[in-house]
Amino acid sequence: MSTPENEQIRYATVVTQVGSLVPDFVEKGIVIFFADNAPAELHDISVLHRPDIEVGGLTVGDVVILDDRTFPILAVGHVANDNLVKLGHIDLKFNGETTPPLGGDVCLPKETPPMLAPGSIFRIIAAPPNAQNNT
Amino acid sequence: MSEYKAVTVNKGRGGWGGPLVIKPTADKPLIYSVTGGGIHPVAQRIADLTGGEAFDGFKGSAPFDKLAVAVIDCGGTARIGVYPMKNVLTVDIHGTTPAGPLASFINEKNFVSGVGPDDIVEGEQ
Repeated sequence: MSTPENEQIRYATVVTQVGSLVPDFVEKGIVIFFADNAPAELHDISVLHRPDIEVGGLTVGDVVILDDRTFPILAVGHVANDNLVKLGHIDLKFNGETTPPLGGDVCLPKETPPMLAPGSIFRIIAAPPNAQNNT
Repeated sequence: MSEYKAVTVNKGRGGWGGPLVIKPTADKPLIYSVTGGGIHPVAQRIADLTGGEAFDGFKGSAPFDKLAVAVIDCGGTARIGVYPMKNVLTVDIHGTTPAGPLASFINEKNFVSGVGPDDIVEGEQ
């Protein structure tokens, strides 16, 4: 995958552990992340990770990268960015919604989410301002 | 021996559930803050008024049977259900209503939301 120099990374992290209940949530189109310092009771439901870049600033049109797949962000709940930057917490909802049903939601196209594993990459990249002018 | 006092936590603007009466005991002394940026002012106020001990869930782990209450800043999917599911009284500072995969565990007797420091009053109402 090419990485243009002007690509703005809002968040970059590597998965460290996948909780035992994560597959059940993936079936429902939900992937819950927490940073790996989250308390133990959240581990079963969460993809745990250790972030490298935590700039934040999530907005509609940004792109979520999960390993080799990319998804445009369709909607961002009003507490989603805060949760991500402060706790490494995000609820990815693969529901195709363009208005977020819940404050913590980040909505993506209605697809089956990829199953992640330790070592998987999760990134959020700002939408390139000149995306429509590419030659 | 410390004396613990009760507080009543009412739902705030846009909130749901409750009111909850929180009274720590010697066995359940912890006011557990599972929030961004350290112990939340709502958790601190509950601790100050009850004599309970504020505890930051992101700085250490606490056994569940020691928790008098969990204070969360949940956007509606995950934490909102995890603590009610484990029979821990739960206070969300955001104005959420039962939702998410664990919604069935959330009720007005174990959950209250939209809570700010002013929604916490001394005594058992």
